[in-house]
Amino acid sequence: MWKVRLRRLLYAKRVAGTALQACWRKPLPSTGTDWRQVSFLAVDAEMSSLDVNEGELLSVGWVCVENGAIALSSARHYLIRAEKSVGQSATIHSLRDCEFDEADTREEVLARFLEAAAGRVLVFHNAALDMAFLNRISRREFDAPVLMPAIDTLLQEQRLLQRREVPIQQGDLRLQACRDRYNLPQFPAHNALLDALATAELLIAMARHRSGGGEFPLSQLL
Amino acid sequence: MSERHPPPVSSATHHGQQAQEGQGLPEPEMAHLSVPELVPIAEFLEQSLPFNELPQQDLYDTVDKIIVQYHCRGEVFNRETEIKGLRIVRSGAVEIRDSDNKLLDRLGEGESFHIGGLNAERGEVQATVIEDVLLYLLPDEAYRALREHHRNFDRYFSSQRNRRLRRAARYQPESNVMLQEVSTVMKTDLLTVSPDDTVQDAAQLMAARRVSSAFVVENGELAGIITDRDLRVRLVAQGLHHGVPVRAIMTPDPETIGGSESIFTTTLRMTQRGYHHLPVMVNGELKGIVTTSDLILAKQDDPVYLVQHISRQHDVPSIRDLILGMANLMVQWVNSGMKAQQVSQILTAISDAVTVRLIQLAEEKLGPAPVPWCWAGFGSQARGEQLLGADQDNGMIIDDSVDEVHLPWYREMAEFVCDGLDECGYIYCPGGIMAKTDEWRQSLATWQKTVRRWATSPTPDAVMRVSIFFDIRAVYGDSSLARRLQQTMLEQASSNSIFLAALAANALDSRPPLGIFRRFVVDRDGEHRDTVDLKKRGVLPVTEIVRLHALAHKIPAVNTDERLQALAHGKHMTIVDSRNLEDALHFIQQQRIKNQCQQIVRGEKITNYLNPRDLPKMAKEQLRDAFTIIDEAQSAVRQTYRAGLG
Repeated sequence: MWKVRLRRLLYAKRVAGTALQACWRKPLPSTGTDWRQVSFLAVDAEMSSLDVNEGELLSVGWVCVENGAIALSSARHYLIRAEKSVGQSATIHSLRDCEFDEADTREEVLARFLEAAAGRVLVFHNAALDMAFLNRISRREFDAPVLMPAIDTLLQEQRLLQRREVPIQQGDLRLQACRDRYNLPQFPAHNALLDALATAELLIAMARHRSGGGEFPLSQLL
Repeated sequence: MSERHPPPVSSATHHGQQAQEGQGLPEPEMAHLSVPELVPIAEFLEQSLPFNELPQQDLYDTVDKIIVQYHCRGEVFNRETEIKGLRIVRSGAVEIRDSDNKLLDRLGEGESFHIGGLNAERGEVQATVIEDVLLYLLPDEAYRALREHHRNFDRYFSSQRNRRLRRAARYQPESNVMLQEVSTVMKTDLLTVSPDDTVQDAAQLMAARRVSSAFVVENGELAGIITDRDLRVRLVAQGLHHGVPVRAIMTPDPETIGGSESIFTTTLRMTQRGYHHLPVMVNGELKGIVTTSDLILAKQDDPVYLVQHISRQHDVPSIRDLILGMANLMVQWVNSGMKAQQVSQILTAISDAVTVRLIQLAEEKLGPAPVPWCWAGFGSQARGEQLLGADQDNGMIIDDSVDEVHLPWYREMAEFVCDGLDECGYIYCPGGIMAKTDEWRQSLATWQKTVRRWATSPTPDAVMRVSIFFDIRAVYGDSSLARRLQQTMLEQASSNSIFLAALAANALDSRPPLGIFRRFVVDRDGEHRDTVDLKKRGVLPVTEIVRLHALAHKIPAVNTDERLQALAHGKHMTIVDSRNLEDALHFIQQQRIKNQCQQIVRGEKITNYLNPRDLPKMAKEQLRDAFTIIDEAQSAVRQTYRAGLG
C-alpha cells in the first residue's frame, strides 16, 4: 500500500487536474482495517489477446464489495468500442451490431472505472493481466498508471495452497477451480461482469474462511 | 467467432466467447434488466419459489436489490442478525431450528428463509449454516414491497411456507426409528437348546428365562427355532408327548435377517410372512433375535401401526377414516428421508391391508367361499410400486371346480370389496379392470383361455390390457391360482415373438420428454401446460420396458427392481443397463413423490404433473439424465423386439 502511495507522489504533477487525480484524492483504507470495513471493487476485463502489446480491451465489468457483502446494484458492464477491429471484421460487426452502437469509447469507460475505483481496493483473479491493460490505457490518457491497491485472488489462493503444502496441478488456480474449493456454485463464465462477480464471491468466501468470523485486517489479503 | 479475428480472452476464466445475452428468455424486448449481463441471476431467481410468480419486470428489478453474502459452516442467523430480509440459498445448505432446538427445516439451493417471518410464526428460531453457503439476501424493504404488490408471492410466505414448517416440526422427531438398524433393538441374551433335548426341558428353560423362543443349535450352527407357538400348535394340539425331542417340533432352517437391515424392512418382512420371531445374523453369525413386541412402535403415524390398525376396523367408514390421514403421513415419511421405493412399498402394504380387511368383512356377511379362489392385484399394486391416488386394478381367479350356483357369492364379494375400496379413496378403475367387472372375475381355465386368445391375436386393446395383467400378485386367498395363471402367461408370451413385438410397440408408445433446446418438451395443452407427466413419460416407459424383457425371459418376478436384478443375474441385461434403469426409475419416483408431497402441503390435488422449472438445477439435470437412460433403453427395445414385426 505504501508503494502505491509513494508512486502516486511521483506522478502527482503529471496527473494534476485529471480524473485520475480526482480518483487518487479519495482516501484509501489503512492496511490494519478489518476487511468488512473496507470497500472493494472486483473487476474483470475481456481483451482480444492475452498480449498487452497486441490486444485491446473489449469489455470491462465490476461490482462493489461493502460490509463483507456484494451489492448487485453496483454491478456495471461496459463494452468498449474497439479501435483496430472496427470495420475489420464484418462477421464481428454484424454479430454485435446493436451492441457496438451502445459501446463506449475507451476514455469514457476509463473515467467511469476511476470513479468507481476511488477509495476502493481493487480485486482481480490474476491481477497482472487486467492491470496491464488498464495501466496501458491510463498511460495513454494521463501519462500515468492507475496506481490502485489490488488484491489478486489467484495469488492468495496459490499462497494458501502452498502454505498447506497442497501440490498445485495445472488448472487448480482457475477461477472456477478455486470457487469449487469454497463450495461456490458453477457460474456461466461468459462476460466480464459475471467473472468480476465470481471473483468478488471468491474474495468474500476466502475472507470469511480465513477470518473465522472475527477481525481480519486488509493487510492479510494484499 | 470469425477466424480473422482472435476471440476475446478473459483474464479470469480464459473462456472467451461473449454470450448472446438475453437469449432464451421470454419477452426480452419488453422487460428490462438494468445490467443485462446479470441475466443468470434473474434466471436463478425465477427457478426459486415463489419468484416464479413475479412478472418479468419485477423479477428483473429484484436482481438489483440483491446483496450477495457468504457464510461458513456453523455461522448462525437469528433475531440479532444485522441485515433483515429474505435469504435465498444459492449454494450450500442451512438448517432451521426452533428454541427447543427442534429441527424445522433443511434448506438447499433455491430455497429461502426469513428469520423475522419465522419468529412471528414459531417463536425464536435460529438458522445455522450446515454447509458453506452463498446467499442472495433480499433486504426487508424490497421483500415487503414484493409481498405487498403480488398476491401469489405473498401467499407463499403467509400460508404455505409456515404450514410446511409446522408440518416438518410436528413430524420430525418420530422419523428415524424405522430407519434404525434392527441390531439396535434385537435381544442378544439368547437361549439355545440342542435338537435332542426334550421339548419339556426346552420349555422349562424358556419359562425360567421368561422368553418365548429358543434357538436350536447343532454343531455350532443354527438348525432351527422353537417358539411358544410351536409348543401349542405342533405339540399340544397334535397330542404329542412332552418327552419328544425338540427336533420333532422345531421350525428347521428358519429365515434370518441381517443386523444392518432397517427396522422398517424387518417389520414388513415379519408382518408379510406372519413371523413373530426372526433371528438376526451379523457377519454370518447368529447374534440376536427380534420379536414382534420388540418392534411394536406405539406411534400413531407409524405405517406398521396403520396397517395393523386397519385390520382391526369393523366397517368401511372407519377404514376410510384411517386412510384419510395417509397423505399427511406420506409427507412426514418423505421429510424424514424415506426413499421412494420404501414409500411405495408401504403404500402398497396399506392398500393390501385395506383389501384384505374388506374381504374379511365381506366373508363375515357372506360366509366362507364355496370353492378356493384368489384375489389378485394388478399393475402397481402387484409390483409393490403404488403411490397415492392410485385407482384399483384387481381381479378374481376362481378354482375350476366352481359351479354356476356359486357365482353370486363371488359377485357379491367383488362388489363389496370394489365399492369399499372406492369409498376408501382407491377409485374405480376407469378401464373397468376390477373384480366387479364380470370379465375380470373368472375361473382359472377361462382366464387361461383368455390369455391364449390375447397372445395369438394381440390387438392394441388386448396388449394394453395384458400389460397390466402381466403384473399380477395374489393379495388374498389361494395364491397358487395366481401363480398358475402367471405361469400360463409366461409360457404364452416368452415363445411368441409377434406378441412380444406388440408389447414392444406398446412400450415405445410413450417417449421420455427429451427435447430440443436442452429444454423439456412439456405438455402444451390443458391445465397441465408446461408440465411433464412423470408417470406417463417416466415411470410407465421403464415399467413397460422391464416387463417386456422379463416376459421374454420368463422371469416370474413382478416388482420392477426385482425384475431388473433377475435380468442382470440371468445375463439378459448388462449390470450397467440394469442399474441405470433402476436408478432412473428411483430418481423419477423420488421426484414424483416429492412433488406429490408439495401438492399435499399446498392443499392441491395430487397429480403426477411436475413443472421442471420448479426443480433446482441439479435435480433438473438429473431428471434429464434419467430420461436419457429411458430413451436409450427404448432404442434397445426397438432393435431387439420390433424386428419381429418386420
